[in-house]
Amino acid sequence: METENIFLFVPNLIGYARVVLALISFFLMPCCPWPAVFCYLLSALLDAFDGHAARALNQSTKFGAMLDMLTDRCATMCLLVNLSLLYPSYAFLFQLSMCLDIASHWLHLHSSTVKGSASHKTIDLSGNAILRLYYTSKVCVSYDKRVRVNFKGTVSERLCVCVCVLQPVLFVMCAGNELFFCLLYLLYHIEEPAGWLYWLQGLCGIICLLKSGISVLHLITASKNMAAIDAAEREKALKMK
Amino acid sequence: METENIFLFVPNLIGYARVVLALISFFLMPCCPWPAVFCYLLSALLDAFDGHAARALNQSTKFGAMLDMLTDRCATMCLLVNLSLLYPSYAFLFQLSMCLDIASHWLHLHSSTVKGSASHKTIDLSGNAILRLYYTSKPVLFVMCAGNELFFCLLYLLYHIEEPAGWLYWLQGLCGIICLLKSGISVLHLITASKNMAAIDAAEREKALKMKCVAAGL
Repeated sequence: METENIFLFVPNLIGYARVVLALISFFLMPCCPWPAVFCYLLSALLDAFDGHAARALNQSTKFGAMLDMLTDRCATMCLLVNLSLLYPSYAFLFQLSMCLDIASHWLHLHSSTVKGSASHKTIDLSGNAILRLYYTSKVCVSYDKRVRVNFKGTVSERLCVCVCVLQPVLFVMCAGNELFFCLLYLLYHIEEPAGWLYWLQGLCGIICLLKSGISVLHLITASKNMAAIDAAEREKALKMK
Repeated sequence: METENIFLFVPNLIGYARVVLALISFFLMPCCPWPAVFCYLLSALLDAFDGHAARALNQSTKFGAMLDMLTDRCATMCLLVNLSLLYPSYAFLFQLSMCLDIASHWLHLHSSTVKGSASHKTIDLSGNAILRLYYTSKPVLFVMCAGNELFFCLLYLLYHIEEPAGWLYWLQGLCGIICLLKSGISVLHLITASKNMAAIDAAEREKALKMKCVAAGL
């Protein structure tokens, strides 16, 4: 019987292509803006396809989800490093943004994963119509598309349900945030940028601030979830004593 | 009955101090090297104390462990950003290092957490001999991590010292070798963690397939 090789699944192959394109992009960013931007945008574009491929070919995997998440985080991080090189006076702000991005996503994912195992249940989609839509919807986008495992009404889940229901808003937030950083890079290299580009940059800047606020919220709720898990474990250990 | 507040546990308070010191350090790095280095080293030093405090006061928490991990990762990341500003020609190498550091730690932690729940066991280190040595030998782990950090710190310091003593360059060379070795270990981590994730996926897919067959009456 032929064993399938998860590393050769189509969505994961797309994932590797994303990684390679992103690496090429960051290698070229200091010297060759337009090829660099082309590679970066292509890498970002492929992000839309790996999810579709995974669902269409029944090849959704935890590995693929992590590959996707890590590529997103590292790509944003490297873009911000390059922006720090172009705008050294703002380097500290870019560093804050990188730390917030990594920390909020990581803690959120970790608390969700630990919480899922603590309840000793597999993903139960029947409980809530909105969550069912969230998991099975072909167009639903989220921070951690394929590794969500919570069921009761905590703040974190309510936030995520809201996030799902407001899916177009979420897309605008993520895209606007990315676009802000891309524009910062582009506008440095364009000699006489058109006026509307500055307006777009201003709009995206506002979106970036809003998204940062949401990341802080994620960090706080994830911290509370971790502490709640700790409290439950300590109580359990105390009772056993 | 008084409910304990995990956010006020001593090791976590030490953790917050580490975060604040690291932030001050990175704020000062472009302008004031010696205060920046002082804050950074103090933040790193406190890292030794939060673990001890946690064990001594029975205040070990998952939250504290994550706070510790995230502070380490973000501090290394920001130090590398500042090194990219000082040595722009090597910016790509520093970015590679940052990506490797974040990705290997994250994937390793995630695969361990998911695996732990699947097998209801704590972290199984028996899979790879090198990783086993790395984790179970405290001296090896300490030298690798400290040497790696010291390499980056020396890169920053030597930029700001006008006539560095010869032994500093020797130390930098030695730490550079350790940094390369640690990067190799991170790549190994990334590979084994990926294999663990794929194995978990394979097991789940097989299970799902069997349930489908059962449901279909086969």
